[in-house]
Amino acid sequence: MSALTFELKNTPDQRLDLSPLVPARLGDLSRKDIEAIPINTTRAKLTVGDAFKIKGKDAENIRFEGTDSRCDKIGAKLAGGAILVDGDAGMLLGAQMKRGKIGVTGSAGVLTGASMAGGEIAVRRDVGEQAAGVAVGETMGIKGGFITIGGDAGALLGERMRRGLVVVGGKAGDYAGGRMIAGTLLLKRGAGRYAGYGNRRGSLIFMEKPRNILPTYSDCGVMEFDYLRLLEKWLREQGLRIRLSARARRLMGDIAVLGKGEMLILA
Amino acid sequence: MPELKVKGVTIIETFAEAFPMVGTRVVITAPTLEWALISARTMTGFATSVIACGAEAGIERTLSKSETPDGRPGVAVLLFTMDAGKLQTQLRNRVGQCVLTSPGSACYAGLEGEKKLKLGASLRFFGDGWQMSKVIGGRRYWRIPVMGGEFVCEDKTGLTKKAVGGGNLLVLGKSHASVLAACSRAVKAMAEIPDVITPFPGGIVRSGSKVGSKYKGQIASTNDAYCPSLKGAVKSELPLNVEAVLEIVIDGLTADAISKAMHAGIHAIARGGAREGVTHITAGNYGGNLGPHHFHLKEIVG
Repeated sequence: MSALTFELKNTPDQRLDLSPLVPARLGDLSRKDIEAIPINTTRAKLTVGDAFKIKGKDAENIRFEGTDSRCDKIGAKLAGGAILVDGDAGMLLGAQMKRGKIGVTGSAGVLTGASMAGGEIAVRRDVGEQAAGVAVGETMGIKGGFITIGGDAGALLGERMRRGLVVVGGKAGDYAGGRMIAGTLLLKRGAGRYAGYGNRRGSLIFMEKPRNILPTYSDCGVMEFDYLRLLEKWLREQGLRIRLSARARRLMGDIAVLGKGEMLILA
Repeated sequence: MPELKVKGVTIIETFAEAFPMVGTRVVITAPTLEWALISARTMTGFATSVIACGAEAGIERTLSKSETPDGRPGVAVLLFTMDAGKLQTQLRNRVGQCVLTSPGSACYAGLEGEKKLKLGASLRFFGDGWQMSKVIGGRRYWRIPVMGGEFVCEDKTGLTKKAVGGGNLLVLGKSHASVLAACSRAVKAMAEIPDVITPFPGGIVRSGSKVGSKYKGQIASTNDAYCPSLKGAVKSELPLNVEAVLEIVIDGLTADAISKAMHAGIHAIARGGAREGVTHITAGNYGGNLGPHHFHLKEIVG
């Protein structure tokens, strides 16, 4: 069975709420029922059929084609199955998702993977602010799962994150890991200012020496970490070849709060 | 009934009687295979029999870098006891005293199992509040700061209640040297079989026991029917020309694994055994009423 595909017909004149287009919701619906689902975010009514041309049948494998940065909430609260976005995604991509996989060939907007609890998101290019951060109405950021970002991430990456792993191939913005509770950020090209501000028990792994380090992190020196070996091997099993040398400088902080978090700067 | 012989060695038509056990596997890694082996040997030391060691344990096999979670050389260790509570205590004490303490070691789950045993979940308290939990791919690991760096230990490992202990072979021969050589070959052959260990020294027991004793409080005593020096004094099972008997005890995660190990063992003993002086292969049982697992030698040889 071929993937259930939604091809954007033309640029809509409003942002779209695509949160209903998840496998759990579409599995039992006929093409006609799917086309009737409202996705408008203003008072001007807009249905799936108005905005998208539908092809394929397999609701466990959903594909979006030609979407842009105003196509919001793709895969929000996803509870299983796979979604591939061939194009860009708007805000709240995969927010509060529990299981399943989302892939984006372009960029995604703000709050990507916000407060997600499990599953995987892979964005090939950039993401906006507060990726892996706190979704509206939630108290914590990402609580589990795995996000990979090929390009840059906006400010407040992993804000208030509790668990999970976020890998950024490019540069992260200011306040990366801001107020993080626990979890891991792996930053290949560093971050802006105030990385790890208010970090309690989280790990920020820097593959390059960051330009700015908060004064509330205290240096524990360089040593070998079997944890990095474990992480490298697991990442390789996921198809990510990232060379983490086991040697790293460890800084503990943010000592302005609990101080049991860390920065591991690869040596 | 014709006598069953394999390459001139008589296989007695009897069976090995074995018991249900609970078992687990952990993977120990270290900077070198040598250090992983030191750690594993220490952890599985003094673990020949549940009679007085609390557990039966041994090295299942060594693991290459590609087989371990952290890409370092490793060793798979199997640990067995009679119930899950004891297994938990033994695992915690043995990993805590022998693996945590071993330079550069890390310890991971080696079995999925229907039930779980605490591994790092209890050892983490050694970190005195400085331990750090990391979840990678849905599995929780503890990083415990120690003088040598960090001890990485998986939170839990699996437990199986389908394990079997006490699979055995008794090897009779015309000289001690011949029986020892044959048993050494058998232990080597069994080491290639997955999911089993031979917990006794070098895999071989020279002092098989019977249940009970003439002395009060002694729960096991020498298996006089197989002692060559008592052939004329007791109801012996030994022909007059047998000078030595050695036993190989096998514990396994499944009954099937024990069958395979016994098969490999019998054929390794028979290989050149008769020429060396091995006369019989038999097995220990208690009449079949005590243990639910019966491994009939005749079926296993085939």
